[in-house]
Amino acid sequence: MDAPDTDSRHEVAGDRTPLLRIRGLGVRFQDFEAIRPLDLDVLNGEFLTVLGPSGSGKTTLLRTIAGFQQPTAGRIEFDGRDIADVPINRRPFNTVFQDYALFPHLTVRENVAFGLRVRGIARATRDARVEDALGIVELEDLGDRYPAQLSGGQQQRTALARAMICEPRLILLDEPLAALDATLRRQMQKFLKVVQRRSGITFVFVTHDQSEAITVSDRICVMRSGSIEQIGTPRDLYYRPRSRFVAAFFGASNILEPCRIESTGEDTTMVSTPFGTIRVDGPPPRVREGLALAVRPEALVPAAGDACNRIECEVVSVSFVGSETITELEHSRTRHVLTMKTRSDPSTRQPVVGSRLEVGFDAAACALVKGARE
Amino acid sequence: MTDKRMTGHVPGTIVLWAICILFILVPLASFLAYGFLPVIDNAIVYEPTLDNFVNIFSNSSYRTTFLRTMLLAFEVSVFNFVLGYATAYFIWRRPPAWRNALVIALAIPLLMSYIIKIYAMRGVLGTNGLLNSALLAFGVVDEPVSALLFNLTAVRITLSVVLLPFMVLPICVALERIAPQVLQAAADLGASEIQTFRWVILPLSLPGAIVGAMFTFVLASGDFLAPELVGGIEGFTFGRLVFSQFGLAFNWPLGAALSVLLMVVALAVISVARRLSNPRWQS
Repeated sequence: MDAPDTDSRHEVAGDRTPLLRIRGLGVRFQDFEAIRPLDLDVLNGEFLTVLGPSGSGKTTLLRTIAGFQQPTAGRIEFDGRDIADVPINRRPFNTVFQDYALFPHLTVRENVAFGLRVRGIARATRDARVEDALGIVELEDLGDRYPAQLSGGQQQRTALARAMICEPRLILLDEPLAALDATLRRQMQKFLKVVQRRSGITFVFVTHDQSEAITVSDRICVMRSGSIEQIGTPRDLYYRPRSRFVAAFFGASNILEPCRIESTGEDTTMVSTPFGTIRVDGPPPRVREGLALAVRPEALVPAAGDACNRIECEVVSVSFVGSETITELEHSRTRHVLTMKTRSDPSTRQPVVGSRLEVGFDAAACALVKGARE
Repeated sequence: MTDKRMTGHVPGTIVLWAICILFILVPLASFLAYGFLPVIDNAIVYEPTLDNFVNIFSNSSYRTTFLRTMLLAFEVSVFNFVLGYATAYFIWRRPPAWRNALVIALAIPLLMSYIIKIYAMRGVLGTNGLLNSALLAFGVVDEPVSALLFNLTAVRITLSVVLLPFMVLPICVALERIAPQVLQAAADLGASEIQTFRWVILPLSLPGAIVGAMFTFVLASGDFLAPELVGGIEGFTFGRLVFSQFGLAFNWPLGAALSVLLMVVALAVISVARRLSNPRWQS
């Protein structure tokens, strides 16, 4: 992958060793390549999110790691050991399923105890550990209920306790919050994060929701059509997307293209765009062709006389959406469209539709990315 | 919703109840009422008594026949429980296309005439039948075994074969309802195949097996055709006893009283099975 950004910040905290090392892993269903051979390291103790739209291969990747899906190429190493031939029930990690997959005929307590029971752990030890696990997920009072008598959030927490009971070093979570309503989802995101931090267990979490990924993750691995598009910290992906796809996925909806590099300095690049010449801060791109410029809507500032990049626009529409105001702008000359998102403020006037407005943005607030044509 | 059901469909509800009462409950009740009428000089006297029941309970040959039939139905149920579970499990483990074909194959006999099936079994079990030919071919026996027909064993075999679909189908339904993710979860948590079967598959499919056993028991305990056609003298069952009172002795009140007894047993079995097949977790 020839990313324009030389910054390879996705190797966080250099002293941490990979717990899971994936090399050349591919999954093919007859003619369809669900996962194109890819490499991925999951670091010990991190919260890694695999993010992507449906059909991007993220769930297949997780199911392949768990052992439910046989890879057609490549290796998976856990703690330095190849686990290709290790059957599901002997793999040293556990899964939280999308629809929880609780045992309907067992109580919460029995569900949580299952992993210990199959290992033949003595009753007394088992009971104590189950109570501990129920304490962690705050289900002490519901231990005797059956799954059918629980709410979605409670089922979710039971599934988590059940996966944690055997103290695995790695837990795989397959869109575990997809079935919950928005409020509960946010609560559970925080909760998952706290549990992960406290337990020190490595989490590999699959989701299609970028805001969820940003909230919970140490690192995010963005997938697209069976390949990894970019891996990095939430800040990396948010502020330094390397492709138009990642930029758009994280809400940088202003994509200025086509772009042409005019000149490169040590730490700045001058780029010619349909909106005029723009200054971009950061190291120069590795490739010079097929680039686009991504600018976050919230980076645009109205009437910013001192900003280094300024664009003369006409206001097309203004929508007040509570804490923010979203303004659609059109470039005065080329009629290209920009979106600006500003914090709503009762003391300043909203822009008037049809009026001219000069908007500006900082040279550090935009990113050169791979364009649509690759 | 409830309001609409109560008020909106009153005529429909009345019609449904009327059909149930007129065509099911009334004939059944009037028939059962015969059980409480005495027969004097070959004529029914319309003065209710419990004579028929006293008669049944004090007659040792009725008691023996009753117990023999209950034991027979129990044996068939237990045997089919094992055989049916194994069959259903085998079917469930096939790929989906195979599974559907096998279930249909299993259900086809249900569409056939009961008598034809019994005669077919007679052909299988007879001295020149399929079973004997097979036993001879494999050298298990030197000459045809005649002990396969016209005795209680023949009834056991025939009822087992004929009633097998009633056991297999409910178990298939129960197995089919187990979410594949639940089995994956069991494996993921470290369970071996045997542990998964013992702790997940079996308890989740047991309600279906209990329903199947209930069907088998109730149908086997009341059956009179199979014992009549393959049972010989030894295979005299309670169903035949009832049949003989209606068809041969023309003692309808006694037949009705015997039927009441059979019905009480059936209802008891059904209510026990209902309790067992609706465990607490299914709410």
